[in-house]
Amino acid sequence: MTIELLIWLLPLPPLLAFFLIVLFTHRAKALSHTLAVGAAFLSWLGSMIVFWQAMRTPHLGEHPFVSSLPWLPTGDTWLRIGVQVDPLTAVSLFFVAWTVLMIFLYSVGYHNFGQPAGDDDRPGLPPHGATVIDAHGHKHKVPSIEPMYSRFFAFIGLFAFGMYTLVVSDNLLTLFIGWEIMGLCSYLLIGFWYGKSSARAAMIKAFITTRVGDVFMLLGIAYLYSATGTLNYREILYNEALLAQLAHINSGFLGLSVASLIGILLFIGTIGKSAQWPLHVWLPDAMEGPTPVSAMIHAATMVSAGVYMVVRIFPLLSAGFGHEGGLTPAMMAMAFIGAFTALFAATIAVAQNDIKRVLAYSTISQLGYMIAALGIGAYVAAAFHLITHAFFKALLFLGSGSVIHGMEHGVLHTGEHIDPQNMFNMGGLRKKMPITFWTFLVGGFALSGFPLVTAGFWSKDEILADAFGHGHWAVFITLAAAALLTAFYTMRQITLTFLGEARTHAAEHAQETPWTMTLPLVVLAIFAVGAGWVGIPEHFPLLGGWIPNWFHEFVGGTLLHHPEPVEFSWTPLLTSLSVALGGIVLGWLVYRRLRAGQADPLARPLGGVYTLLKNKYYFDELYDFLFVRPAYWLAASFTYLWMDRKVIDGVLHFFAYLSGVLGNFFRDFIDKPVVNGFGDWVAETTKRFGHSLRALQSGKVQQYMLLALLSLVAFSALFYYLLTFTR
Amino acid sequence: MDFILEHLLTLILFTPVLAAAVVFILPREEENLIRWVSFLLSFIPFALSIALWLQFDASKSGFQFEEKAIWYAAINSSYHVGVDGVSLTMVLLTTLLTPLSILASFTIRDRVKSYMILFFLLEMGMLGVFLSLDLLLFFVFWEFGLVPMYFLINQWGSEKGEREIWGGRKIPARQYASFKFMVYTMAGSLGLLLAIQMLGVVSGTFDMPTLFERWTSLDQSLFGLPISTVKSIAFWAFAIAFALKVPVWPFHTWLPDAHTEAPTAGSMILAGVLLKLGAYGFLRLVLPLYPVEAHLYAGALGFLAVMAIIFGALASYGQDDFKRLVAYSSVNHMGFVVLGIAAAGFAAGTENAIIALNGAVLQMFNHGLSAAGMFFLVGVIYERAHTRNLNDFGGLFPLIPVYGGVLIFTSMASLGLPGLGGFVSEFLVVRGVWPIFTLYTALAMIGLFFTGAYVLKAIKQVLHGPLNERWTGHISEINARELFVIAPLMVLMLWIGVWPAWILEVINRAVSMLF
Amino acid sequence: MIPLSWFLFFAAALFSIGLFGVLARRNAIAILMGIELMLNAVNVNLIAFWSYRTVHNIAAWVFAIIVFAVAAAEVAVGLALFIAVYRRRHTIAADEIDLLKW
Repeated sequence: MTIELLIWLLPLPPLLAFFLIVLFTHRAKALSHTLAVGAAFLSWLGSMIVFWQAMRTPHLGEHPFVSSLPWLPTGDTWLRIGVQVDPLTAVSLFFVAWTVLMIFLYSVGYHNFGQPAGDDDRPGLPPHGATVIDAHGHKHKVPSIEPMYSRFFAFIGLFAFGMYTLVVSDNLLTLFIGWEIMGLCSYLLIGFWYGKSSARAAMIKAFITTRVGDVFMLLGIAYLYSATGTLNYREILYNEALLAQLAHINSGFLGLSVASLIGILLFIGTIGKSAQWPLHVWLPDAMEGPTPVSAMIHAATMVSAGVYMVVRIFPLLSAGFGHEGGLTPAMMAMAFIGAFTALFAATIAVAQNDIKRVLAYSTISQLGYMIAALGIGAYVAAAFHLITHAFFKALLFLGSGSVIHGMEHGVLHTGEHIDPQNMFNMGGLRKKMPITFWTFLVGGFALSGFPLVTAGFWSKDEILADAFGHGHWAVFITLAAAALLTAFYTMRQITLTFLGEARTHAAEHAQETPWTMTLPLVVLAIFAVGAGWVGIPEHFPLLGGWIPNWFHEFVGGTLLHHPEPVEFSWTPLLTSLSVALGGIVLGWLVYRRLRAGQADPLARPLGGVYTLLKNKYYFDELYDFLFVRPAYWLAASFTYLWMDRKVIDGVLHFFAYLSGVLGNFFRDFIDKPVVNGFGDWVAETTKRFGHSLRALQSGKVQQYMLLALLSLVAFSALFYYLLTFTR
Repeated sequence: MDFILEHLLTLILFTPVLAAAVVFILPREEENLIRWVSFLLSFIPFALSIALWLQFDASKSGFQFEEKAIWYAAINSSYHVGVDGVSLTMVLLTTLLTPLSILASFTIRDRVKSYMILFFLLEMGMLGVFLSLDLLLFFVFWEFGLVPMYFLINQWGSEKGEREIWGGRKIPARQYASFKFMVYTMAGSLGLLLAIQMLGVVSGTFDMPTLFERWTSLDQSLFGLPISTVKSIAFWAFAIAFALKVPVWPFHTWLPDAHTEAPTAGSMILAGVLLKLGAYGFLRLVLPLYPVEAHLYAGALGFLAVMAIIFGALASYGQDDFKRLVAYSSVNHMGFVVLGIAAAGFAAGTENAIIALNGAVLQMFNHGLSAAGMFFLVGVIYERAHTRNLNDFGGLFPLIPVYGGVLIFTSMASLGLPGLGGFVSEFLVVRGVWPIFTLYTALAMIGLFFTGAYVLKAIKQVLHGPLNERWTGHISEINARELFVIAPLMVLMLWIGVWPAWILEVINRAVSMLF
Repeated sequence: MIPLSWFLFFAAALFSIGLFGVLARRNAIAILMGIELMLNAVNVNLIAFWSYRTVHNIAAWVFAIIVFAVAAAEVAVGLALFIAVYRRRHTIAADEIDLLKW
């Protein structure tokens, strides 16, 4: 089997699993998850082979693995679609394959496989637990298996298919196909428990908000296609003459060049998909889905896809950009939105109590990092952070899922009525759930950028160094501030959840989760540490040069011009050291002594700001007021009831009425009096005449005869007179 | 065999009439027999169309399988039929949807025999429009299709509801809808008929291929008016007739009424095929006959199309009636077809125009599949719940998981989810129109956005959310017959989404050679 | 030789008597008899004109015989009708049988 064929086959096993589960095995739970996990494993295996091959191939950037076939006839030419593995794809494949496989495996445990069916569980609602009677006759409430177990695996199978398609495709169109399929799956998965009205709202919010970005992206694709005649990455991004030309033609819109306008249009797609401000609102609500879904959407795949796309089209975004020439408009937009989002989301995360919501905002913030990095031209750093983030954020989500699972176990056991996701109800879980604790700690430290060991440190440091090195001060300071907040809220989370003493009975009775859930945590924890070591800058004090900066060499090769590593400087390093450690220590100091029932220690000193943050700057309410309600009014009241029903139908009805009036006029003044009138008059006259003659009709034969005789006589006399005397 | 091949088009065109005759002689009381005989007979035109598809040589230019016989010698009108890539796809769509619609009508209990006969006559009318290569013949079939549809809505339409008209009078909704449908289309046809007669008189023939040459090259003044004025008037006479049928905003209000009141199968055919007649008219007649005027007025037509896209989607989003929601979605989707056609009219001959037209024709086919599917699914739920009000449903997914899956699949095809048919065509239209009407394309995205909104609204109201206990035990799962109706549509949607080349190549070649 | 006019006067008298009977009598049978008289007056005229004017033409005889036949048929039908009427209405007075009036 050639490597190209293998690449074609990569996305197919999960798709096959989807169809098989939906069509045949949806009743057999064990078979369904075997199929799904098996499919994920096959794709993982293929990806590893491809990744291995890619690593061994020198100059993969110039000569990637490509294969394509004609798909759409357009006049005399064809639009070809195909697959391509270059260094960027290879590393993306690596993290996608690992996280997907881990999440699939984790889902088996998360949905309580092997547990009894719930007492009154119904599809569309999370399982409520089952009562079992043990050998001694005691009743226990234990977790019950998800009622729509098979369906879940079908959906995530389709999801994985979307992500693999997106990663291996060699053109924007198939990327968009994978992109949208993931959008559908995220919609279905966020609303997996569609019985909850919050999930119902969240699923629609997610789809609609990302669709705002998608329609712009579609325009961008159409524009790019019409401007260049192709959508293939290599034909556009590696064609310097074409890029230069695109960068020079004025698009006629706000004075932007064609390249910039296309770039911005495509970037708006990323804003939607990667939940950047101002389209970030969907992602926190998307936490309504089961936790593996959150991990999948928020770490491994979907939100990363947005960043992956802008990383992929970076040469287009940066067409006309040199470090001396200033940023292109598209890059400026990215730098601004990315940096702003990074800080903005981090501030919200500080005031959230739901363990998953904190992570959601943290994801938004970290994606902002990547976008900002790309905006200032730090291509490799953005890709690097994309990959390390995928690992540690998947780890954190799965870890939080494990915590929630443990807490739910405690809730079922004690029968307490508390929210198992609220961190203020937890505490002291490190003893109950050691594996979860240690892996979560690794993930949390990676997110905070704990120096030297964790992957997050290396990637974040590289972004800061790049921002500093090229003099983008505003971006540098914003990102540093965001990093401080990140470390703070991460430590707040860890402290509230795992450290101190249990604040509820449920937390006391929490239990470690089964191996299907902890094994993925351990594997991901290894990557959350190890993934950083492949990208240690060469001139880093002490460590630099021991391990070659493989990542930079390899991924940098994707670009036509190999990017220069940024000069080493102490300022960004010290900054990132101090914000990471400072944030962590601060978080621990503030929250370590929190007692049960106590309010957030920040609430009082921050006052109104805290309320503002807790309510996410009231963006939901603002959008509801600005867009949702007006849109519904526009649709239902304006378009349908007023325009269609009143105006257009009104005009039609007026015509109908007018015809009626005209018809009545003709009827009343012409037809009835003139036409009908004459006919009626004739008939009436005849009738009256006959009436007056009817006395003659006596019915007596002899009278008739007499009359006949008299008439004869009279006529005879008349004729005689006429013939005789008027001759 | 040779006979069949030589007269393939005539056979396709008139086998429905034969089928109607067979149904006519069946005894009225044997309803099941009538249903099954109709169903089986409706496969004959379909099988013949498949044969036509296989025998069709896409690489040849011009019309194929032509047949010509003198019909009306005095005015030089003949029975002239033929197909090219565009009409071929439409014929395939028509003959495919008819058996499915008949199968979907198995639940009709009232006057089954007349119903089936009308259905076959309707099929013939539609096929006639697609196959005619003679203007007069075209017009005859164009009008013929109205009559069975009128009766289908008027007699078998939904029995509830009424509409208030000017002056406060209330009339039954199905009567209102059928009347509106009939009168509206007839009103449009009036100008069309006059223009056709004028063309025929001036050019001395009604034969389309001849007209394409003679009429376009005509340059002396007519009736004391400059030729450009005459042509402009004739252009608008044609354009308005077809725009009414598509329908283009603001001529669209008959459609939601007609769709909502029509029986399920009637809606399937109405959305699936009847709307395509208008778009087909644009492609077959307006663009070739009026290249200059099409260029001149393309902007106006494109504007109306964009309005249809936006307001169709908005109105659809504002609905509480499931069927009306789907009906308005047709306005939205057909807007893309007209937008593509308008752009092609503006920039005829360019690659962008060809891409736009590829998209438009494929969108016609795709919309035929997805709209028919959606109307069918609305019908399925209506037969069980006897309501179409979205607020009455809720949380039905656990009760009817298979139906739910099918509904989500079909809605997604209608939404234009990549991987399913709708996306390919919408992408092609957007791609083709963008360089020609950039602003319109950008505005159309508002419509595309709201497409998502209304589709999700429908899914949310029907399937998701807390279960409305009222339906427990009252709504049964979609049955085998119904699955058989929807399955071919789903397969085609997926097939076109994944591998559009099989149909798009035929369209592409035809379009490239035509324009 | 008796002149033709005598026959004619006789026939006229006979006709007038018949006519008077038809117009004046109430009994339907008498009316029928009056009709017979009028028919026979015609016959007398026919034969008289034959014998004085067209001896070689037998058309008059033929007509006379047809009149006999018609008269006979008429009486037959008429009497049958009267019997039917009598059975139903118990009268055959002509002025009481006035069903045909308006």
